[in-house]
Amino acid sequence: MKSFLRYCLAALLIFGISALYGCASKQENKTVIINIWHWMTDRQAAFKELAARYEAKTGVKVNFELYAPSDAYTQKVRAAAQGNNLPDIFGVLAEKKDFASFIKAGHILDLTPYMDAVDGKWRSSFFAKALAVNEFPEGNSYGIKPGVYGAPIDITTIQMVYNKGLFKELGLNPDNPPSIFDELLKIGRKIKANNMQGLVSGWAEVWMIDCLANNYAFNIMGEEKVLDTLRGKVSYNDPDWVKVFSVFKEMRDSGVLASGIVTMINKTAEQLFANGKAVFAFNGSWCVNVYKGMNPDLEYAAMLPPKASDKYPMAIWGGAGSSFMVNARSQNKEETVKFLKWFTDKEQQAYLSGVTQNIPANKDCLGSIPGTLAQFADDMELTTHPNIWGIWEFPVVTEALDKGIQSIIIGEKSPEQVASEVAKIKEREMAKKKN
Amino acid sequence: MKTAVYYKTKKITINALIHIFLLTMVVVCVFPLLWMVFSSFKTQETIFRDASLIPREFHFENYCLAWQQGGFGRYFLNSILYTASVVIGIIIVSSLAAYAFSRFRFPGRKILFIIFMAAMMIPVPGSFVALYVLLNKLHLRDTPFGYILCMISVGLSTSIFLLKTFFDKMPRELEDAARIDGCSKLGIWWHVALPLARPVLAVVVVFNALNVWNEYILALIIFDSRKFMPLQVALQTFRGEFVTNYPLLMAGLTITALPIILVYLLMQKYIVKGVTSGAVFG
Repeated sequence: MKSFLRYCLAALLIFGISALYGCASKQENKTVIINIWHWMTDRQAAFKELAARYEAKTGVKVNFELYAPSDAYTQKVRAAAQGNNLPDIFGVLAEKKDFASFIKAGHILDLTPYMDAVDGKWRSSFFAKALAVNEFPEGNSYGIKPGVYGAPIDITTIQMVYNKGLFKELGLNPDNPPSIFDELLKIGRKIKANNMQGLVSGWAEVWMIDCLANNYAFNIMGEEKVLDTLRGKVSYNDPDWVKVFSVFKEMRDSGVLASGIVTMINKTAEQLFANGKAVFAFNGSWCVNVYKGMNPDLEYAAMLPPKASDKYPMAIWGGAGSSFMVNARSQNKEETVKFLKWFTDKEQQAYLSGVTQNIPANKDCLGSIPGTLAQFADDMELTTHPNIWGIWEFPVVTEALDKGIQSIIIGEKSPEQVASEVAKIKEREMAKKKN
Repeated sequence: MKTAVYYKTKKITINALIHIFLLTMVVVCVFPLLWMVFSSFKTQETIFRDASLIPREFHFENYCLAWQQGGFGRYFLNSILYTASVVIGIIIVSSLAAYAFSRFRFPGRKILFIIFMAAMMIPVPGSFVALYVLLNKLHLRDTPFGYILCMISVGLSTSIFLLKTFFDKMPRELEDAARIDGCSKLGIWWHVALPLARPVLAVVVVFNALNVWNEYILALIIFDSRKFMPLQVALQTFRGEFVTNYPLLMAGLTITALPIILVYLLMQKYIVKGVTSGAVFG
């Protein structure tokens, strides 16, 4: 029995130590400390460097706390919101409706007065489309007071990239990528004849298919008609939508698409392209950093998806990559906004871009960013994103559309069949909504 | 009539097939581990370019870099403290509870046991927000003690179930003999039940040690201060949103896997006994 008591005492001692260990952490500190939670593992070192610079300049300490991966980070932010323990600055990694629910719960500060101060100096430093992701316009469907509720720290665009070396092997001019769809199909036939792999992309993660389909929908029928489709005013049976679906069939038939693309995850696609095993890739601007890590000698360039129609401009998905929001209940609100202003200023943004290979959200520092990244940034005016449309497609319709395109690529269904199936699902959902 | 040669050939064929199957299983299980270890000696570039298992050049510095960049020193100590505390806590509470459920007759015994078992059905991520709010109210959020308590509660249901099943099959005569010798109820639990339950306890130790050692999402949610984070969180340092530093991640994984492999090897014989413990009392 004595030995049992000894074991119990030892266990109690361990518990006691750990309890004291926890209590010892609570310290009083009177200097201003700004706490920031983020999920960007690859940017932590650069953030820390900027925090040190800010402390040296102002005496304000900034703690960048990294919580990765992003899904765990999202859970942490949600839990912290429940307990009112959010830090001074954080990011909301979710759809706009979730972002809106954070604002409604009083967790996010309206940055509009700060953005508009001094003749809108802060607001005008950003790409308008990057800011739009954090903006709620007049009469928005979420019932949020119009304003800007976050500051973008970098931007992303999703485009095509091509391998210059493989272009040469195919007898093509590496400085003249295809700009119209027929040229792309011609190259596809050459790729097929040379037994090479064409376009790779993470189309097993269906959102990337959705992205390219939307690009072509905007190009073929224009923004208004696409949005009218979401509103239920235009059917997916419309000939323009059939044309959008046919784009994928034509790409498959010509040999533009690499084999196995519908089951390919983006990491595999990136690896294939970086190792020179694919002529094209459809990827986001983050790929610059990825390819640099996988193969620093890779010669490639960015290009817009070739236009299938001259009626409307090609649109690409893009906008704010990552954004920071200020906690409306922060005790250091003013200091926090001051820091965020400094953080998104030209000099800091240029530093971040150089180190992390992301396109800066501040448009004034574009001149100082590396080559391929600049190509991605050049087409910022052409960007769009579902987050700024103010209307959402039913998830089941999007799923049917993406899976339908996968079926077209593997030759299971025709564009007309997919259009008809998606239209039926849309009608069903619209009827449900009305009831 | 079947000759001796026929039976010998049949035996050899069956044995060969069994061994081929077992060897295949070994390769399937061991290959990912080998890939992890060998990849930890490659560079980021060669991981994607060089498909061979054994690297042409060994970059031992990856281990130093992983240790330094991931801040493994502090996290290692944290993980050891959490694993030891949680395992001890689970063994004490679950063995007492399981013994009580198995031997004592008290009102609500069955319903209480069903409630414990029902807790096994709730996926841990489903209770994160509730645990967070509870710890916040108890002022135990962002403290190692709060995390340890949560992890003990996570591991209790399965451990109680395993130990109760064992105690149910344990002969009562042994306890009667101890009682005649003057042992109290607590004394019987300590001197008779626990020593006999050693194989099951080994299973409980290994399962829970693995669970705590590999856990990081709850830690990430409960802790704001990085200094309290366990080892698994350090590994996330190498996993970017788009870019992953594979050589350092693999070096980190190798470092992280070593202690738990050691625990498993040390307790291997008890685990085998624990798994077959039903037969002992059968």
